[in-house]
Amino acid sequence: MGGRRLGALLRLADDAIGLGWDFGLGSVEALAWVARTVETAVYVPDSLVRTASGFRFALANPPLRIGAFSSVLVRVDGTPVPPDRVRVRHRPVGAWRTTSEIGTAQPLLLQAGNATEFDADWPVAPGSAPLLIRLELQNVAIPPLVWMEFREIPGEDPSP
Amino acid sequence: MIGAPNARPVDPPPLLLTSLASAAIGDGRGDLECTWESRGAPTEWGGVYAQLVRLTGPWRIGLALEAASTDLPSCRTDAAEFPGGWSSRHHWNGLDVVQTIVATARPAGVVRQLVVRSESDRSLPLEFTSRFSPYLLPVLVEGIRPVAYDVRMLPDSLSVRHFGFALRVSSSVAPDHLLLNQGSWLGGKYRGPVDELATLHPLPLAPGEAATIRWQLVGGLGRDLEESVAAVGLAPAAPEQVAGLRAAEDDRWVSATPELRFPDAPELEAGYRSARAALRRLYTAPDTSMVGLVAGYPWYSAIWCRDLAVMLPALLWLGDFDWVARSLASVFRFQSRKKVAILGGEPGELPMQIAPGPIFLYGTSDSTLRFPPVVEQMHRHTGDLGAVADWAGAVHRIVQWGQARTDPVTGLLRHGGEAEEIDRATQGVARVRCGIESVDTTIWDSADRRDHALDVEVLWWQTLVAASRLFGHVGDRDHQSKCEGGAARLLRTIRERYPWPAESYLYDSLRDGAPVARVRPNALRALSAGLFDPAFARAVVRRAAASDLTTPWGVRSLSSADPGFDPRLYHDGLVWTIATAWAADAAFAAGERALGVEYLRTIAARYVAEDGLASECYRGDRPEPYNSCFLLGFSVAPFLSALFERLWGLRVDGVAGRLEVHPGFPDHWNSAELRGLHIMDGRVDLVWTPGRLTVRWTGSRPLTVDAGAAPRIVTPGEEASLELPTPSKM
Repeated sequence: MGGRRLGALLRLADDAIGLGWDFGLGSVEALAWVARTVETAVYVPDSLVRTASGFRFALANPPLRIGAFSSVLVRVDGTPVPPDRVRVRHRPVGAWRTTSEIGTAQPLLLQAGNATEFDADWPVAPGSAPLLIRLELQNVAIPPLVWMEFREIPGEDPSP
Repeated sequence: MIGAPNARPVDPPPLLLTSLASAAIGDGRGDLECTWESRGAPTEWGGVYAQLVRLTGPWRIGLALEAASTDLPSCRTDAAEFPGGWSSRHHWNGLDVVQTIVATARPAGVVRQLVVRSESDRSLPLEFTSRFSPYLLPVLVEGIRPVAYDVRMLPDSLSVRHFGFALRVSSSVAPDHLLLNQGSWLGGKYRGPVDELATLHPLPLAPGEAATIRWQLVGGLGRDLEESVAAVGLAPAAPEQVAGLRAAEDDRWVSATPELRFPDAPELEAGYRSARAALRRLYTAPDTSMVGLVAGYPWYSAIWCRDLAVMLPALLWLGDFDWVARSLASVFRFQSRKKVAILGGEPGELPMQIAPGPIFLYGTSDSTLRFPPVVEQMHRHTGDLGAVADWAGAVHRIVQWGQARTDPVTGLLRHGGEAEEIDRATQGVARVRCGIESVDTTIWDSADRRDHALDVEVLWWQTLVAASRLFGHVGDRDHQSKCEGGAARLLRTIRERYPWPAESYLYDSLRDGAPVARVRPNALRALSAGLFDPAFARAVVRRAAASDLTTPWGVRSLSSADPGFDPRLYHDGLVWTIATAWAADAAFAAGERALGVEYLRTIAARYVAEDGLASECYRGDRPEPYNSCFLLGFSVAPFLSALFERLWGLRVDGVAGRLEVHPGFPDHWNSAELRGLHIMDGRVDLVWTPGRLTVRWTGSRPLTVDAGAAPRIVTPGEEASLELPTPSKM
């Protein structure tokens, strides 16, 4: 565990103790239900895998916001992957779309409970270093960028 | 400019049934399913909501008879709301079906009943299928549905849980078959993904006879659900009985609110009744410790404190002092005692949102500032200072919260960066993080209006003024004087730095010391607060009425002449009814009474077009709800307040036993009546004709009525007649 993560967890623990003291332990428990749902219900755990041309990962829900999105950007360790090298589809049977085709006239529609899969032509070196994957979505009706990020060591693609 | 109010009906209007702890949402076709555009895309919002938790997605009921089957919408012949519930009629295969749906408060959820009558001369093997997808997450997280559930078939019900959230479904006819994710399920226990749960219910129908089947779907917090079930059982209640109780409660509530009559503007009179009924639908008491009003439906079905603060003044005018006091107590219970970085809370801050659990979040720049004026107004309406010392203490903590972000020279409060603070606090804590890059959190929180949006500064000024009055009530001269000094300093700055002479308007904000030259309706709040002289206020109001900001269906959130305008953007182009109400309020405040009435008419026309619902917002280029809740408290409460505060021109000071009446009726009006206004411990009736006001008062002590000429003391039980000055003299 890195010092930064330890420090953050200690701050979290301090906040949680304070909340429990001021507002009752039920508040800590209920807030944790929501936080754990958000943490477990967006990115599909262990779905980040290395493929022949790059990597792939899956979401079980859109990150926080629903609706029509006019742009989708994937970053790897802070570097944006060119949109013409990223494809997205609804799982389990949607058609792949290149994210460069997504725009105001052809938005990506995401609803709560919609699972999606992202496939990027962006080779990642084999090894044990975790990747920081960040997804940025722009809604057509409400401007602030919606983002989701996770850090994980990619697995190997089980498909041939 | 304001034109002919658009009255294009919204077809079909959504179905919304509410109890104090639950809601049912449908599209009125027969099932609890409702596709409604949200965030630019068609979205399914139908289902059951309880304790501010969305329990289910669509809940559909099907009928099967031998080899044939149907759903309810396909065979619907008629549907209508009735007091306390909704009913639909269906005809299929020789069967007449009457469905009744009601929302229940305890346990919190929904009851559906089908009564089937056969025209056949033989027994019929009817079968019903009830299907729904579980949800089980507070509505505050709009984009996420849990991925795994615990499902159990119990002797009396089907139980579904996700963490501490739970639902139970019971029926009057036991199911003989279960389906899980479209596959047969023997029952018992299951844990994993659930797309759909279905129960099949056989219901043999004798020749010429009628048969009844009921379902009850209830839930929310698991612990509260189990307590309710233990107390009242799981047998579905008779919907007629539930509806009757709800209707009786609604009737009692309405009868305690004032009646308004505007013979010269019946559309405003109808608008009042419509807005009052809509506000009643938003009442919520999701658990024993929490009371308030839901912000709106379908996707703001939670207690958002900013929205609550906007609604509570209307409740004071409607006379529901008890609900206001309990709502304020519910919010102030979560006033932050110390910095809670992970929730965005600072000492003294009030939450952005509260829900049973309790679940609460902080992190807005304006929600906290909206409450001191409401607290002060509550004391003026009730005239009761019994608990004012406690309230003054809580408001003092708010003042300290504001002072911590205030420039000592200008008095300006700095906002923005609240969400970034939460983002920083969660870094390194979660393995998966999600966020929205909202750099600013004013009422237009998708727009960046840093550092000193004018409407936020007005709220800060109003907070200081309200706090000084509360400190005066408790004899705290030191804090009273400091607040008065802060308010005076801020007022000077606002008057010096926000006027925009070239536009005859007010700058939207100040950033890095420079004015932000954007025409937004938010500036009108400064006029409503009386911060500018009448001549300038009139010029600003007239500028706001120009067609780049004001449309025939309401007022835009940003001028269409602004380079950043987009008719589809939430806070940079859409028409908002609350902005229309601001414009009405400001027009009256500036003495532009005819313009104020036209704005109110625009709002009332929307209520008619939307069959009593009140959309949050509309496209900026056409009168079409877009990215809009179909009912929002913002769209009804400010309209109600404007009727009392501006059209009637009322100001209550129950502490001093005083009522001011300065009507803003247009010149051609001949009469108006207000009966049953609750102030202090009594009720006042007002009857207005040009130049004269008749007052009747029922309280326990005299009421001083000031109508602009000599104030008149009206004794309890007395009817008094006051001469009014002509408007030009006012």
